Amino acid sequence: MRLVVAEDSAILRHGLTQLLAMRGHHVVAAVGDGDALASAVAEHRPDVAVIDIRMPPTHTDEGVRAAIALRHEYPTLGMLLFSQYIETSFATTLLTGKPEGVGYLLKDRVTDIDAFVDALTRIAAGGTALDPEVVAQLLRASRQRKTLASLSPRERDVLALMAEGHSNAAIGDALTVTERAVEKHIAHIFVKLDLPPSDTRHRRVVAVLLYLQA
Amino acid sequence: MRGIARIHHALDNASRALVARRTWTQVLYVLISVPLAAAGFVWVLATLALSAVLTLTPLGLWLLALTLRGARVLGNLHRALAAVLLGDRIAAPPPPAGRSPLAWRRAILTDASQWQAVGYLLLKLPVATLICAVTVAVWANGGLLLSYPVLRTTNGPTVVEADGTVRHGFSIGGFHLDTWPGMLLVTAAGAIVFLLAPWVVSRVLVVDRFLLRALLGTNQRSDRVRELERTRAQAVDDATATLRRIERDLHDGTQARLVALGISLTMAKDTLRGEADDASFRQTRELIDSAHQQARDTLVELRDLARGIRPPVLDQGLLAALATLTSGCALPVDLHTNIPRRPAPAIEMIAYFCVTELLTNAVRHSGAQRVRVDARLHDEMLWILVADDGAGGATLGAGSGLIGLRERLSTVDGDLKIKSPAGGPTTVTLRLPNHS
Repeated sequence: MRLVVAEDSAILRHGLTQLLAMRGHHVVAAVGDGDALASAVAEHRPDVAVIDIRMPPTHTDEGVRAAIALRHEYPTLGMLLFSQYIETSFATTLLTGKPEGVGYLLKDRVTDIDAFVDALTRIAAGGTALDPEVVAQLLRASRQRKTLASLSPRERDVLALMAEGHSNAAIGDALTVTERAVEKHIAHIFVKLDLPPSDTRHRRVVAVLLYLQA
Repeated sequence: MRGIARIHHALDNASRALVARRTWTQVLYVLISVPLAAAGFVWVLATLALSAVLTLTPLGLWLLALTLRGARVLGNLHRALAAVLLGDRIAAPPPPAGRSPLAWRRAILTDASQWQAVGYLLLKLPVATLICAVTVAVWANGGLLLSYPVLRTTNGPTVVEADGTVRHGFSIGGFHLDTWPGMLLVTAAGAIVFLLAPWVVSRVLVVDRFLLRALLGTNQRSDRVRELERTRAQAVDDATATLRRIERDLHDGTQARLVALGISLTMAKDTLRGEADDASFRQTRELIDSAHQQARDTLVELRDLARGIRPPVLDQGLLAALATLTSGCALPVDLHTNIPRRPAPAIEMIAYFCVTELLTNAVRHSGAQRVRVDARLHDEMLWILVADDGAGGATLGAGSGLIGLRERLSTVDGDLKIKSPAGGPTTVTLRLPNHS
């Protein structure tokens, strides 16, 4: 994978570049703010941009705004936003409209290199990668509207993992059940949530996410 | 001899005063202040009467505010006159300000200095009239007496005696002052009145100047209050900015370093992955694993700590912060907001912490099924209502978290009201100014 990293902390920029290089990925540019990110993407056309949300000058939501601008110009560019804390409204902003090829993770997840690279790979392929905390918050918010009340606890677990962007096999591993059982759960979820069945992986996640935000 | 010297000195001073600029500016001041005072008096009485008539309509309060505004303008004229002609430079109290017309009206109606100006205008007319009367009396009488030898024939009592002689001028106890020594006596008295006139005028003006200072000047106590309000607002703003900086330093500095540490440990683990499986390598891997886990735990703790100092979601504004807060609440929350402009950061932060605490209370103690949070900006005030359908019985008693909330609110002149009868429901209303 060819990547651009936008992160204002030099030490993290360096660490990420090294880490990704160890796994055979190529960081073609590492920059410190949104403007530099825009020109780096224009120059290198990477597969995925890894973007810190808080960057100069105001250290609030520069990364989100840069991502929205990039999304317009490069619809196929994968983007992983990460930050020190999770803010659901960012997730909603990012996922509204076209939630393919987008991820939102806590920075902590970087230290689990396998999961991190897995998330990047999913994003590059047009999938999603949401932090478990984001999913938990979104689920809590939609539980308030009592719309998920009809799901069994196990189905809710499956839905949460689906929303994070995992495949059926990965969900089965995480819940120590067979892939077949996972498929059955998912079918039930779709029926209960009245979602039209769909065969492609990320369209399914998209549907779930859109439902969660609704 | 010393007595004579003293009299000479006093006479010298008095005659100097006659030609001093100050004497004549004082007279000018007295003469101009009467029509000005009359204008002020008429303005205040007429507009006050009209606003009294209009009190039943919404116009009444607006007209009252206009009365006060006009009183301030007239007060400024009086102040300027005193500055130019008397040399009394009196600092004007700062004008009340409001960002909206309604806030302006409230500010002007509650500002003590505005009402003092009205009081000044009402008192000024009788005082100015009296002072003017005294001034005219001393100067005119001095002049008349001084010119007695000349004016006595045209402007004095005329007596026709029994023998037919006509005598012009005053008479005291049958003694006619129409002889040269008599006339000299009257002229001397005139001279004394004339010489005393500047002193008399400046004495009676003391009353006017006292009024001016007391009612149109800045009041020391209200100055102090204003100063304290200003410095307190600054302290609150500074504290908010400092908390935000600490939170940002923790997130962008310390946490970034911890993440970098985690990356290094991850890479160390990766490097050791393919090594031979002897005891010392295994031990090293375990140590790195443990260090890695500690770094992750520290990251989580640090994030909670930073959020407690200042929730970073407030960067997105109170609306986003409240939306996140209520969506994460264990109880279903109906959130209604109408906040077209962002309040000051300190206000947003206090409001956020108060709502957090109130939601926690509702979840823990009320047994409620639903909570309603209503936040709106009205008339430069932020009103937040947190209502639940629980058991009620919440009080502002000792040990209640509500006391802490009230104290927090009072640092910005906000307050809170609780309606929580036994059996419920509970309604807490927060009121905060839009700025600290």
